[in-house]
Amino acid sequence: MKQEIIIAGFGGQGVLSMGKILAYSGLMEGKEVSWMPSYGPEQRGGTANVTVILSDERISSPVLNEYDIAIILNQPSMDKFESKVKPGGILIYDGYGIHTPAKRTDINIYRVDAMDAATEMKNEKAFNMLILGGLLKIAPMVQLENVMLGLKKSLPERHHHLLPMNEAAIKKGMEIIQRVDS
Amino acid sequence: MAEDIKLMKGNEAIAHAAIRYGVDGYFGYPITPQSEILETLMAEMPWEKTGMVVLQAESEVAAINMVYGGAGSGKKVMTSSSSPGVSLKQEGISYIAGAELPCLIVNVMRGGPGLGTIQPSQADYFQTVKGGGHGDYRLITLAPSSVQEMADFVGLGFDLAFKYNNPAIILADGIIGQMMEKVVLPPFHARRTEEEIIAQCPWAVQGRKGGRKSNIITSLELDPAKMEENNIRFQAKYRKIEENEVRHEEFQCEDADYLLIAFGSSARICQKVVEIARSEGIKLGLLRPITLWPFPTKVIAAYADKVKGMLSVELNAGQMVEDVRLAVNGKVRVEHFGRLGGIVFTPDEVLDALKEKLF
Repeated sequence: MKQEIIIAGFGGQGVLSMGKILAYSGLMEGKEVSWMPSYGPEQRGGTANVTVILSDERISSPVLNEYDIAIILNQPSMDKFESKVKPGGILIYDGYGIHTPAKRTDINIYRVDAMDAATEMKNEKAFNMLILGGLLKIAPMVQLENVMLGLKKSLPERHHHLLPMNEAAIKKGMEIIQRVDS
Repeated sequence: MAEDIKLMKGNEAIAHAAIRYGVDGYFGYPITPQSEILETLMAEMPWEKTGMVVLQAESEVAAINMVYGGAGSGKKVMTSSSSPGVSLKQEGISYIAGAELPCLIVNVMRGGPGLGTIQPSQADYFQTVKGGGHGDYRLITLAPSSVQEMADFVGLGFDLAFKYNNPAIILADGIIGQMMEKVVLPPFHARRTEEEIIAQCPWAVQGRKGGRKSNIITSLELDPAKMEENNIRFQAKYRKIEENEVRHEEFQCEDADYLLIAFGSSARICQKVVEIARSEGIKLGLLRPITLWPFPTKVIAAYADKVKGMLSVELNAGQMVEDVRLAVNGKVRVEHFGRLGGIVFTPDEVLDALKEKLF
């Protein structure tokens, strides 16, 4: 079993850290993992993306042609990555800020209104965990308990009091994700 | 899951491996995409645990000269930088090679020339294996293609450097430096005691404490006859390294009709190219030089009679391809494919290039 995932959005949305949590979760399950960021100045305000691969076997290239799952958090990323989802693959996007939704009919498209939910929770920082929850509902590639372990591992100890909030956000994300018929 | 499997960036792995290997000193200056080496060392504060010195120098030039000084006293010392910073170090590297001192240099390459870009590149191949600084010297060059190898090659680099009294370099790039993978860090070694250093490095300058003749560390020799002798000694050492220290890895080469030759991150991408090509019925293999100098000339030459063509796949405009062509000496067609200036090729692009150039 291998999942090749791209997470793409604006810098500051928690794209890289969401990828990191996913990678740590995979590590907790004994999977092979790779986390390959687009690094550099684009992380501040510009677009940022990270490729995460979880696999039962040795991972060859961290750089990919196409993806099983694309998580799209802004319009430029939709424009860039919609075409790179494998046929039959999954595209998950946040409705906020997407003015031209995905059009492909050969992939499974889902929407998580994570920005709205984060605003409702009065916690913008829950945004990426809401998205992660949505992803895990559709593609349960790692157990929630391992995600929490991964989160614990990737967060500095001084932030460990935020773990329950993150867990709540993940569960909320699982509830609000919805399929979009294109 | 074993407790000692960690998830970290290649740059972080180098820093942790250096502490665990018992390195005496690191001297560096920040530059993307390798700044996590210095950052991690500073955060780990090894001076409190092992006594290892970690110093942010005032410049790359200062850092390499601190390495020169530390190496002259027999210490295990290292520096790291990225392409423009490594250019600044070239004078010092030539001096260290000329003084026959062991040390470890790390270059996490980015796109050039000039200040270029901060994205991954492999365009410092020529600089690293063909000279860089002045004079007839060679660097033992290790090209890691995984985070695990970033960790492992710190120890290997120092072992080879001390075996031959010659600088070694880890030639990585922004992909391997920045990506996170699983890694098992090497076990802890205590730093050598002063007595152990004196026993291992009788040439080191450590203070005579009465008794022995002065040790002099220099690359200067004004008598050309003696300087020629020095050079002949260097060359004999280089031939020995070429004889003994070539390392490479083969991936589905046995029955291959075509070979990709690639190092570092390009070799990782090329593994995927081999998988895709094989699924299309193309018998493709990958030969990965692990040491770029000494280059796996003999093993590549041996494949010249077996395959229909070779493609040297590099994140540059065609550098290692020259060594591949020298190795096969016209016996088989050798082409190059690369992307430039920080752009990374996808597996599909490489496969298309193979078909276009060699089929």
